[in-house]
Amino acid sequence: MRAAATAALAASAASAASRRLGRRLASYAALAALAALAACAGILGLRRDAPEHFPHRAHVVAGVSCTRCHAGLDAPGPGLHLPDAATCTDGCHGRPHDARPCTGCHVSERTVAALADARAHLRFDHVRHAAIAKGNCMHCHDGVAAGAAQLRPPMATCFRCHGEAQAARTCGTCHKDLEEEGALPASHLAHDGDWLREHGARAASSGDLCEACHRESYCAGCHGRTAPVIGAALRRADPTRASVHRAGFAARHALEARADPGACTTCHAPDRCASCHAARGVGAGAGARGNPHPAGWVGLDNRHGREARRDPAACASCHGGAGEALCVGCHRVGGIGGSPHPPGWSSRQPLTAMPCRMCHPLGAAR
Amino acid sequence: MRRAGARAVLAAAIALAGVPRPAVADPLRLRADALASTASPAGLLVLDAGGALRPGLSAEAVVWLASERAPGEDTAGDVLVIAVRGQTRSGRIGVRAGRFVSALGALRPAHVDGGALRLRLPRGLDVEAVAGVPVEPGLATGRGWDWLAGARLARRIGDGGSAGIAYVQRRDAGRLALEELGADAGLALTARHDLGARAAYDLAHPGLAEVALTASYRRRAARAELYALHRAASHLLPATSLFSVLGDVPSERAGAVITWRAAPRLDAIADLGGRRIDAARGLELALRARLRLDDRGASALSGELRRSGVAQDGTAWSGARATARIALPRALAIAAELELVAPDRDRGRGALWPWGLLAVSWERAGWQAAAAVEASASPEYRSRVDVLAQLGRRWSAP
Repeated sequence: MRAAATAALAASAASAASRRLGRRLASYAALAALAALAACAGILGLRRDAPEHFPHRAHVVAGVSCTRCHAGLDAPGPGLHLPDAATCTDGCHGRPHDARPCTGCHVSERTVAALADARAHLRFDHVRHAAIAKGNCMHCHDGVAAGAAQLRPPMATCFRCHGEAQAARTCGTCHKDLEEEGALPASHLAHDGDWLREHGARAASSGDLCEACHRESYCAGCHGRTAPVIGAALRRADPTRASVHRAGFAARHALEARADPGACTTCHAPDRCASCHAARGVGAGAGARGNPHPAGWVGLDNRHGREARRDPAACASCHGGAGEALCVGCHRVGGIGGSPHPPGWSSRQPLTAMPCRMCHPLGAAR
Repeated sequence: MRRAGARAVLAAAIALAGVPRPAVADPLRLRADALASTASPAGLLVLDAGGALRPGLSAEAVVWLASERAPGEDTAGDVLVIAVRGQTRSGRIGVRAGRFVSALGALRPAHVDGGALRLRLPRGLDVEAVAGVPVEPGLATGRGWDWLAGARLARRIGDGGSAGIAYVQRRDAGRLALEELGADAGLALTARHDLGARAAYDLAHPGLAEVALTASYRRRAARAELYALHRAASHLLPATSLFSVLGDVPSERAGAVITWRAAPRLDAIADLGGRRIDAARGLELALRARLRLDDRGASALSGELRRSGVAQDGTAWSGARATARIALPRALAIAAELELVAPDRDRGRGALWPWGLLAVSWERAGWQAAAAVEASASPEYRSRVDVLAQLGRRWSAP
């Protein structure tokens, strides 16, 4: 009895020790995760060396006028009109705590870079706008008083006066070169997600909007019949760019083509496969290294018929044009191959027209 | 012949490089890219020019010259795009003429030599019309059709939406090669919800040719999208093809994509879906992550896991891909990319198809240069190594 109690006590103690050990390990793991997160915070962008945006609101509340810091707005020029350290220390921050430039710490480099990008790509003249706004900067920069993070006016603010540019989608009124600028639309057409798959459905109803940024060659790079190589081949040094033919596509293209019938022919002509395979000596044809069809392809199990129904474009890639006569050898009216049409088949083509007349000589509709 | 072509490409690239570059950007641009590779085509020069001649009138041309013909092509040079675009000051009338890609709503894009007209009518109505002859590489005679004519009528819905119907007909020696009716709609329901849809109906052999639907929802750092695709490959062929009489066995695909900005520099994307072809079904899965190593994304790491295809058909495969791009001082960058693909059934063509690339690039003051080594194994080659070099130059003038 005592032995059993002792054993139970020992087991209980072992269990408690095990739980304590578990809790301790969990604590260590949590600490390690926190340490890792802290170490990676800079890489992940969670920790910043400088505030993202300058505290404009505090200056406005203190009664500092915009032009007190942003001098030179009344003179045309390509400058960013950012205050230098002397402007900040002149009369206000007379005892700077550091010898480094104020903007190096009190606003992030990314914000300044975004400002420079905007200046380089937008047609904008502060002088003309200041006159129209009668010197009231907040006529356009209305986020200042609210303490908004982003002070560059959104396009909606521009459209309050330039509504005709919005209606006519004449983006060039303000944007010098949208393609070069690389700015993604702020509207519903943001190019996130799987844009390669999604763009067809989006562009169908918004083609004119696409043209605002993309030139003809952008579409023709994939959908053009005379493209020498797809665009990704010219961007080897940027592996993060999306492309339907990225990386080892040449190795897996047969699998992708068979798993998605018709996908290739949405961009390529059906005879593209045959011409490339023939040139490389791969697949069917004279001098080819192998027949792409497995044994028993044309036989009692009708495998070729099933495969042809699923992906007729694949058959047409090799057997199109004059090669179609191969089918008619068996699938003519009265031939051993029988009718290739499924039940309920209908067509608006007259029997005397192509391709009906290949199997239905003289319009025989049997 | 090959050596002469390569010399011509090199000489043209050097000559173009010597042209002085104006300091001010836009609106006239010229870009030249010379690409040399141990893979075919061995040498390639692409010239891309464009710009606005005056407000409302712009032109664009892209031509290329190869040192040898690519497999299956009968030409070593061609025009990809050469088009002039005009628009009235109000934007109500716009025209295009030349060689361009015509896309009328839900109908398949076609590369044509022809003209297009767009009218913006009152009450938010838009009318587009296009007519042209098909573009064929070089002097190819395998033209699938002789001419095309089509039109689209659309109605704008508010600032962020549009719906339209389109019709196109292609004729080959007077015979009907394609007749399609399309319907499209795109709508931003709210700042967070949007929809896109398109459907093409084959009138020559009545039946749905293609349908694509997408609906997305965005909230803070996350975006979710539902999608569905339906495609009947027989309707993508010309009506004059014998293979168009085999009936409808459409392939279908549906799924959801979640995009999440997990941290300011870290994006994660999950794509889960399924596909069906006839009675066969397959799983589609892709998991991607991308970490930018700086605020502007000049350096980045990415990884991807993917499962695709239909197991019953032997088209299923699994793969992994990793990329890295590191920006270095002096406008240099190095990039590395590795992909491993394992087909479910190797069929004696290898159980693993690795592909790797190592590239160095440099970009400064309108110049762009890159060199890369690409190594791979595939069903066609047990091993293969290719070297690529690229030199690009961009000029612009006010």
